[in-house]
Amino acid sequence: VTTVVSPGGASEEAVAAVPVVGASEHGHEESGVYAWVATVDHKKIGILYLLTALVFLLIGGSEALLMRLQLAQPNADLIGPDAFNQLFTMHGTTMIFLVAMPAIFGFANYLVPLMIGARDMAFPRLNAMSYWLLPFGGFLLHFSVMAGGAPSAGWFGYAPLSETGFSSSLGTDYWAMALLVLGIGSVGGALNLIATTLTLRAPGLTMKRLPLFVWMVLVASVLVVLALPVLNAALVMLLFDRRLTAHYFLPSEGGNAVVWQHFFWTFGHPEVYILALPAFGVISEVIPVFSRKPIFGYSFVAASGVAIGILSFGVWAHHMFAVGLGHTLDMAFAGSSMLIAIPTGVKIFNWVATMYGGSLRFKTAMLFATAFLIEFTIGGLSGITLAVAPIDWQVTDTYYLVAHFHYVIFGGTVFALFAGAYYWFPKMSGRFLDERLGTWNFWTMVIGFNLTFFVQHFLGIMGMPRRVFTYPDLPGWGTLNLVSTVGAFAMGASALLFVYNLARSLSRGERAPTNPWEAWSLEWAAASPPDPHNFESVPPVLGQRPLYDLAQAGSKLPQIVKVRRPDKNKVLVLSLIASEAGFFVILIFAYVLYNLVHEAGPTAASVLDVKKTGFFTACLLSSSLTLAVAERELHKKRRRASGAWLGLTVLLGFIFLLGQASEYYGLWHSGVTVSRNLFATTFFTLTGFHGLHVLVGLVTLGTLLGLVLRGDFDKKPSSVLVSAGYYWHFVDVVWIFVFSIVYLRAL
Amino acid sequence: MTMTTTELLFSAWRFDPVAPAFCAAALAGYVALHRLPRDPSRVSPLGAHRAVCLSLAVLVLFVALLSPIGTLADGYLFSAHMLQHLLLLLVIPPLSLMGLSAEPASPTRSEPRPPSLAAPGAWLAGVSAMWVWHAPTLCNAATRSATVHLLQEASLLALGTWFFWPILAPRREDRLAPLPGIAYLLTACMACTLLGIAVTFSPIEVCSAYLTPIDALGALPLLRGTWGLTPERDQQIGGLLMWLPACLVYGGGILGILARWYAEPEGEASTLPEEVP
Repeated sequence: VTTVVSPGGASEEAVAAVPVVGASEHGHEESGVYAWVATVDHKKIGILYLLTALVFLLIGGSEALLMRLQLAQPNADLIGPDAFNQLFTMHGTTMIFLVAMPAIFGFANYLVPLMIGARDMAFPRLNAMSYWLLPFGGFLLHFSVMAGGAPSAGWFGYAPLSETGFSSSLGTDYWAMALLVLGIGSVGGALNLIATTLTLRAPGLTMKRLPLFVWMVLVASVLVVLALPVLNAALVMLLFDRRLTAHYFLPSEGGNAVVWQHFFWTFGHPEVYILALPAFGVISEVIPVFSRKPIFGYSFVAASGVAIGILSFGVWAHHMFAVGLGHTLDMAFAGSSMLIAIPTGVKIFNWVATMYGGSLRFKTAMLFATAFLIEFTIGGLSGITLAVAPIDWQVTDTYYLVAHFHYVIFGGTVFALFAGAYYWFPKMSGRFLDERLGTWNFWTMVIGFNLTFFVQHFLGIMGMPRRVFTYPDLPGWGTLNLVSTVGAFAMGASALLFVYNLARSLSRGERAPTNPWEAWSLEWAAASPPDPHNFESVPPVLGQRPLYDLAQAGSKLPQIVKVRRPDKNKVLVLSLIASEAGFFVILIFAYVLYNLVHEAGPTAASVLDVKKTGFFTACLLSSSLTLAVAERELHKKRRRASGAWLGLTVLLGFIFLLGQASEYYGLWHSGVTVSRNLFATTFFTLTGFHGLHVLVGLVTLGTLLGLVLRGDFDKKPSSVLVSAGYYWHFVDVVWIFVFSIVYLRAL
Repeated sequence: MTMTTTELLFSAWRFDPVAPAFCAAALAGYVALHRLPRDPSRVSPLGAHRAVCLSLAVLVLFVALLSPIGTLADGYLFSAHMLQHLLLLLVIPPLSLMGLSAEPASPTRSEPRPPSLAAPGAWLAGVSAMWVWHAPTLCNAATRSATVHLLQEASLLALGTWFFWPILAPRREDRLAPLPGIAYLLTACMACTLLGIAVTFSPIEVCSAYLTPIDALGALPLLRGTWGLTPERDQQIGGLLMWLPACLVYGGGILGILARWYAEPEGEASTLPEEVP
């Protein structure tokens, strides 16, 4: 097999043909660094994600250990307050954005196509781009250390602390830009996972038979697509404040710092479930296989994932009880937060019921999955206590909170990821991870984890504040902190043991057969490690446990249920539109909010020329009509007419941009710049980002114009132009809102 | 002397003959319709759960219009108005639709229809019922004029029914497929959330009529004093009602779609021809 690089289209075949890890079974291949850097194979990209996550786990873990060393004794002076602030900011940011999310994307990338019987992701090149934004973002974040100091305003970068007046080094700028880059990569990856799951399922694999891991990744991907744009919009505003002297979050200049918190947690709470849902998916795969039973309540586990996804957008203000939003809001959000515990809690019962009466096999994967049940339940219970606003007031910003979210994210997500690593390593490498080392890995991790974080509940209740570099020698504090530090080092040792196990097993591990755990989902029908094209032939899917059902069916196969697969281009663009709509909703919201009260200086009524912009608006809107005509002409195979209408569309869009440019020039000449006042800031942000989207649309349509004229769409009907058209119409619809809210309201 | 809560709950009922008569007629008509032996093969028998849904719809209609909720909504409290609004738009229509029995589908039209503008139209109807009636002018008009108020109540019931038709229509072929159905409800939840957030945090009164109620009952000292409902807090509660419980209804609808879908036997979803990937 040689590397096939097909120019244009047919990208599903363009997989670099090297066995994933370990010994070569395919003779001579292109290998080495280039094969990894240039790959578009979802399995290699998945492994790249996982390895990147592992590297950052060691970095982020070391940062945690440094902090624990400083806190081992009262009044220690190993690390000063500034360095401590940088450490906890980097630790939090790294663990969330560079470890947990990439690890989840890694497993999802590797497993989703295999589990649904596909050859690759729906868009392999987009997949490669999404991955490479990850090391780029990680590099940006860590480059800050050389550019005057790491960020130190916490992983949630609360304004005004994150504004230049209080964080003057470039660290926060690098932090914001790194998160933007990582956010764009995550959205790209999530769009791809949605399109893959909806459009590339094997015959017979209906959505009702989808493996639960794929279900949970699908829901988490929808959350990424909807939640990340909120963070991106907020980061853009913060960067405007910092680099262009705008005042979004500066109360002294009329801005509003609490708005940052609202934006951040509108993203931040769904983010918790972006991390938790795929972990639930891993657990839902591991526990049934090692209990030798089908999952108890498949449809409940899937549907409650959807319920959690929806509810996760309605609970963010429970992170803000201490802000002073008022009793009414506090009570409402306490209620909604407790509600989300119900679907989550019942899932625990699903897993326990799956284990009940099963013939349990406690391999390392199952050990981690079982520990997940216990640790995650503890985190969930402390979460319910924190949803009670008065308790939250007492313990917020203490170590009680630190204990809570580590039980959720480490005891939950990371334990599930360990379970997944032990479970799927034989598939990825063709070799088992060593079980004896695995058992040591497990017990040191569980004991270390509970030593580290359980005692922090008590420290928190005693009032020890988090994010403070040292503490006075109060009764009990020193001892408990020392216990916590000892536990943290046990976790560190355990992590190193895991890395050693990986390295050792890669070369010397016991060889794994195709289906080492006697599991039943489709990935276990592929070779271990899978061939570059994944399957010679995908086994027919007859039910929720394909390989088991096939074995039961014997020689007479029932008819394969047909699967409805939407068009992948349309799915991708519609999901992208959902994401971009979220971005613009936040920008429009900010415009409305910051223009409720008129400040000194220019306003929409005093500086905008509605008539002139009205003309350019007409140009943009009519371009939607000309594009529709172009699509119809192409459908009728009239290439030249289609090209002409498409050309007119591009021209109209270009005229709109010229109009915007002349408007900006006029405003700039009369002294209306982005930092003038809040009207100018929000006006330029909103219309500027819309203009940027028009520009992207123009480049896309211009490219398609070239393809149409070249005759690329003559032979085979393609949904590309229609899908790109969706995006263009969306940009026009956004402008209708912008024009009404900014211009017409000014009349 | 200030009125007590108990006194309010007993005295603030309205005795309007129109609504009970309408409800009684609706119930009687419904039962009669199911008894009609015109074509027994085409009308499925009145199931118990359907009867319960319809009776609940009638009961909630009573509560929304005639109980203290209706009285307080009429010029006293924005939050009571919002509760009434939600009951009329998001609770009664789905309950009544669930109370309708399904005619068996005609064999010629067993597939879901091709996409049309019917669903976006219904979506717009449902969402604008929330947005348009909370434009300050209309909101004030509805509290001041009995005619506008009646128009509001009727339009909410009608628009709500229109909105839920693509989800809960008795016949399967009139409903959206599961995935578009979920998107339909999710986007409606978001549209509702946006307005709810705006109302909750807005420093400007949405409905200035509620600032200075005409206190015919003498209940104002109780509401403002004992209950602590200042106009700001009242509007906050109203906004939160629109934001969280409203979305719970839409979210419940999504779970309903999923439950209905999982309950269907495998293979039902395969009526469409398989596309070539």
